[in-house]
Amino acid sequence: MRQIVLILMIFCLSTSVKAQNVTIHAVNQPAATVFRSIVEQTGKNFIYSSEILKDVTVTVSVRNKPLKKALSEMFKNTGIQYSFKGNNIILKRKRGGIKALSNKMTMQPQIDDAKLKTMALDEVVVQSRLEDPAVETAEIGAMKLTSDRIRNTPSLFGENDVIKALHLHPGVTEGIESLAGMYVHGGNADENLYMLDNIPIYQANHFAGLFSAFNTEAIRYIDFFKSSIPAKYDGRLSSFIDVRTKNGSTDGHHGSAKLGLTSGGFNISGPIKSKTTYMFGLRRSWYDLLTIPVIALVNSKNDDEKIRFRYHFMDLNAKVKHRFSNRTSGFVSVYFGDDMLKSGTKDKYTVANGWYEDEKFDLHWGNLIVQTGVNYRIDPQTTSEFTAAYTRFFSDLNHDDANQYYTDSGMTETRSINKTDNKINDWILRGDFDRQVNEFSRIRFGANYVRHSFLPSRATRNYTYDSINTFTRDSTQSYGADEVNAYIENDRQAGDHIRMNIGIHGSLFHIDGKTNYGIAPRLSVNYRPIDNVAVKAAYSRTTQYVHLLTQSYLALPTDQWIPIIGNQKPQTADKASIGGYWQSRDGKFSASVEGYYKYMRNLIDYRDEHYLHPPLETWNARLTTGHGTSKGIDLKIEKTVGKLTGHIAYSLAWADRTFKEKNDGKKFPARFDNRHTIKAMLNWTVNDRVQLNASWTGHSGNRFTLLPQVWEGGGFGGQFSYDDVPLKCPVNNYQLPFYHRLDLSCNVKNSHGFWTFSVYNAYCHMNTIGIKRGYKDIHEITPEGITYVSRPVFQKVRLLPVIPSISYTWLF
Amino acid sequence: MASLLTSCYETFTPDIDTTPVLCINSLITAGKSIDVRVSRTWLYTDDSTTDHSVDDAEIFIYVNGALESPDYIPREGDTIKVIAQSNTYGSAEAEVCVPYFVPAKSLKSNPVLINSWRTENDDSTETISVDFNLHVDMEIADPASTENYYQLSILGYNKSSDYTDNFGASPNLPEISFNFGSLKYEAEPIFTEHIDVFESIMGNADGSGFTFFTDRQFSGKTYTLHLVFENGSYFLRTDKSDPEMFDCGLILTLHSISKSYYNWINYLWHRDEGLIGELGDVGFGDPMWGYSNVSTGAGIVAARSYATYTVSLNDFMTSAVADASK
Repeated sequence: MRQIVLILMIFCLSTSVKAQNVTIHAVNQPAATVFRSIVEQTGKNFIYSSEILKDVTVTVSVRNKPLKKALSEMFKNTGIQYSFKGNNIILKRKRGGIKALSNKMTMQPQIDDAKLKTMALDEVVVQSRLEDPAVETAEIGAMKLTSDRIRNTPSLFGENDVIKALHLHPGVTEGIESLAGMYVHGGNADENLYMLDNIPIYQANHFAGLFSAFNTEAIRYIDFFKSSIPAKYDGRLSSFIDVRTKNGSTDGHHGSAKLGLTSGGFNISGPIKSKTTYMFGLRRSWYDLLTIPVIALVNSKNDDEKIRFRYHFMDLNAKVKHRFSNRTSGFVSVYFGDDMLKSGTKDKYTVANGWYEDEKFDLHWGNLIVQTGVNYRIDPQTTSEFTAAYTRFFSDLNHDDANQYYTDSGMTETRSINKTDNKINDWILRGDFDRQVNEFSRIRFGANYVRHSFLPSRATRNYTYDSINTFTRDSTQSYGADEVNAYIENDRQAGDHIRMNIGIHGSLFHIDGKTNYGIAPRLSVNYRPIDNVAVKAAYSRTTQYVHLLTQSYLALPTDQWIPIIGNQKPQTADKASIGGYWQSRDGKFSASVEGYYKYMRNLIDYRDEHYLHPPLETWNARLTTGHGTSKGIDLKIEKTVGKLTGHIAYSLAWADRTFKEKNDGKKFPARFDNRHTIKAMLNWTVNDRVQLNASWTGHSGNRFTLLPQVWEGGGFGGQFSYDDVPLKCPVNNYQLPFYHRLDLSCNVKNSHGFWTFSVYNAYCHMNTIGIKRGYKDIHEITPEGITYVSRPVFQKVRLLPVIPSISYTWLF
Repeated sequence: MASLLTSCYETFTPDIDTTPVLCINSLITAGKSIDVRVSRTWLYTDDSTTDHSVDDAEIFIYVNGALESPDYIPREGDTIKVIAQSNTYGSAEAEVCVPYFVPAKSLKSNPVLINSWRTENDDSTETISVDFNLHVDMEIADPASTENYYQLSILGYNKSSDYTDNFGASPNLPEISFNFGSLKYEAEPIFTEHIDVFESIMGNADGSGFTFFTDRQFSGKTYTLHLVFENGSYFLRTDKSDPEMFDCGLILTLHSISKSYYNWINYLWHRDEGLIGELGDVGFGDPMWGYSNVSTGAGIVAARSYATYTVSLNDFMTSAVADASK
C-alpha cells in the first residue's frame, strides 16, 4: 500500500515544462461546452460576448496538440477569431462579417471591444469527467448519459427514466420486468450508489420500482461507473450513478411543462439577478386524480361503505445558484421525493345501526436532500467544492381500524393502531478538490464526514378494547454511526501512448463501539498503440457499510437500509477488468469489448427460513453472510453521430453466491444470473420535427427457485391446510424462459414543444417473472358424465402486456 | 397492477428432475403412545393417487440413545429419535425432545353480564338467554434457561349432552346451547408476535385461531395471558329448571410444545397469511418451502406435553338466570 501511495505522490508532484497541449474531441458540440474542457485542461479563461456564440456549434478532434492548433481548428469557418491576453483567451467576430458555416449561424452586427462582456464560463463548473470518448479515458465501463439520451429512450408510460436508460447498456440487468431494480455485473440491487449532486439517495424508486426517483427534466448529465471506479467513489460494491442537476439558465426564463397519461411535470429556470439563477422542477403522478371518478362511481353504488384510495408520487428539485465572484459561486438545493398511498373503508351508516367501522391504511415513504455548497477556484488550475448536506430516507406505515357497536349494555369501542417507521438520517460534510497540475496530469482529492442515524424499524401496536389497552413496541434498535472517507487520484498522460488513473479511497465506519475500515486502491491504464484504438486494464476494490434488507424484488416501503453491526464485516469487492476500444477516425462509430471478474466478500442475505425468527428479534438473527463471484464479457458497437444513432450490445455473464446458512452452504446461481443478454437501441432523426426511437432487450431468463415436489403434512397443522407442502430444493434451480421486449417511441416537435408517443412491449410478449403452484379447473368426460376437477399445475406468472402512452411537453 | 398480475397465468410442465424421498410425520405427546406416519414425496402435479404411504418402510424409535419397543410411552424430557427406512425411498430420521409441561401459576376469570332475559312460551316451556363477555387471566411461570414454546387450546363445555333424550317430559328438552364467544386476539399481543407490523398494516394480521407463542419476551419470568372473549351466549329452553343445566365454561389446555412444532405452525401461517408467501407465489419474492426437521426435508416430528384447566361459569350463569328479566 505504501508503494501505491508513493507512486501517487510522484505523479501528483511532477510538473511538466512542455507547452500547453490539449486533447479535445467534439462533433457538432456547443462551443461553450468545448470551452469548459479547455478551461479544465489549461486553466485559461475565455472572454467573449455571449451574442457571438449563440447557437454556434463546433467540431474539433485533437489529441495532445498545442492549444493554438486546437483553437484554430475549432474556429475554422466560424467567423470567430481568438487572441491571447495573459491567461485569457479573447474571442471576437472577424471584421467584415462572417461566412455562414451552418444553418444555425446568424449574422451579427459588429461588436466593439468596449462592449465585450467578460465571462469566466460559469466560474467553477462541475462537469462530467467522462466528456472524452472511451478510447481516450482511462476508465473501463464508464459512461456519460445526458438528459437528451434519457429522453430518447423509450419507456413505460412515457416516463423517461434514468435507471431504465442504463438498463440498455451492457453489464446492467433490469431485474424483474421493468421494475427499476438495477443489477450491475452480477451484483445486488443495493450495491449501486445513486447520488444526486454528490449526495447519496437511498430510495431511488417510485411505485414499487416502476419509476425512478429522478426527474429527467431536472437532470444535466449522469456519470455512470461500473468497472474501474474512480477513487472519489466508494460505499457500494457494484456501480456508482452520479446524477447532476441543471443549473439555472442565465439568459432568461426557460422551462417546460409536461402532461402525460400518468404524470405531469413543470420545470423552469432562469436568472434572479445578474449573478443569481434558479432552477425548479416538479413532477407528480396523476393516479390519485385518475382514480377519483372511479372511486366516486364505486362509492355511489355501494350503500354500505365508502372506499378510500389514493396514490401519488412526487419529485421536487429546486436549486439556487449565486455567483459571488469570478472565482466563487455558491448554491442551495433541495430534493424531495415521496410516494403516498392511502386506502381503507368507512361505513356509510352510523353506529346507531348497530355497527360502524372506519379503517385506514396510510403509507408514506420517500427521500429528502437539502444541501448547500460553495465552488471556489483556488487558482487557475485548482477548483474546489465544499458541501454540507442532509439526506433522509423515511418510510411511515400506519393501519388504524376503529370499530363501534352497540349492545344492550351500551356502546363498545375497539381500536387497533399499528405503526411502523423506518428512517435514515445522514448529515454530510465534504470537500472535493480538482487540480490540473499540467496538461498531462490532473489530481482530484477530497474527504467527507457522514453522521448516520439508522432506525431500521420501529413498530408499535396499540389495541384498545373498552377499558383494556394493550401496547407493544418491537424491540428494534436504532444506531448512530460515524463515517469518514478520504480519497486522492491522479489522472495522468504518461508518454504518448499511456494514460492512467491511479488512486486510493480510505474509509472508517464507527458503529456500536466498533470501528471498521476500508482501503480501496484503484488503478486503470489506457494504452493507445494508435490514436483510435485503446487497450485498457483496471483493478478496483470497493467497500460497503450499509445494505438493504428486502423480502422481495420490488422497491417497497418496507425495504430497510441497515448498517453492519456486531460481528459483521464490511462488504468488499475486488474487481479486475480489461477492455479493448476502437473509434472510427471521423468519430461516428465506436466499439468496445470489456471483460471482468469480481469477487465479493461478506455479502449479506436472508438465511433459509428466516421468517421463523419473530419481528421482535433484531434483524441480524435473520441474516447470513457469504461471498459471491461474477464474471463476464460485454461487447458494444455504437454509432454516435448522424441522423441514425444507437448501439447494440451483447453480454456473456455468470454470477453466483455462497452463504453459510442458505442452500445448505452450497454455491448457487444468483437470481439475475442471465447468461446471454442482447440490447439494441436505435434513434433515427427523420427530420427536424420527427425522431423515432426503438430499444430491444433480450436475455436468458432469471433464475427461480422452483419447488417441484411436495409432501403431506402430519395432520397437526391447526387451522391451516397442511397438504401439498413444498419440499426444499436447491436455490435458484430453475431458469425462466428467455426474456425479450421491444419498446418504441416517437417525438414530434411543433412550434411550442413536442409530442411523445410510446409503446412499451410493442409486440406484447408478456414475459415470465415467476412460477406459481396453482390449480386449474379441468372438465373430464367419464362414463358417468362430465366431471370437473381441480388439478395441481405449475403456472408461469406473466406481467405487463403492450402499454401505449402519449404525452405533450410544452417548451417556453 | 393487481389485475395484470392475477390474470396472466399460463399452465406448463417444467423440465426438472425429481427423486421422491421419505417423509415422517409424528406428533408425540407425553403419556401417550407414539403414532408415526411414513409417506413419500411426489411431484406436485402428479394427482394420479392420493395414497403416498410407503409400504416397505420400517420404523425405529430411539429414546435417549436406546432402541425402544413400539409400546413405549414417551415421558417429558425424553429425547426421541425416529428413523424410517425403505428399500425404495431410502431412509429418513428426525429427533425431538419432549418438553416439560409448564403449569399455570394462577387462573382468574371475570364474566361480565351484558344482558339476560327469560320468556315464557305458549307450550309451557320457558326460554332463557344470557349474553356475556368473559375475561380470563392465566399466569404462566416460564422456566428459566430453556427456550419454551406454547400452545393454548380453548374448548367450551356444557351439560347439554347429559340431558339429551333422557330428561323431562319431552325428549327434545332441555335445549341448551353455549358459546363462549370469540377470542379477541388483538387483546393478547403474544398471539401475534410472529406477525410483522407491516403484515398487520397490509391486512395480513388475522391471527384468528393462532394461539401459539414463545417465551422470547418473558423468558424465565411470569407472564399473564389476557384472554378476552366477546359476545358469549347461553341459551336454554326447558320445561323444568335444574341447576345442573347452568354448568358450562371453558377448558383451557396449556401445551408445552417442541420448537419443531412451533416452527411448523409458524411456517403454515406465513405461507397462508403472510406477505412472504404472497410475494413468493407471484414471483416477486422467493417461494417458501415447507419447514421440516426431518433429514430429507419432508415431514415434521414434534412433541408436546400439556395440562388442562377449567373455567367454570356455573355460578355466573346461575346468577344471571336468576336475575333475568321477564
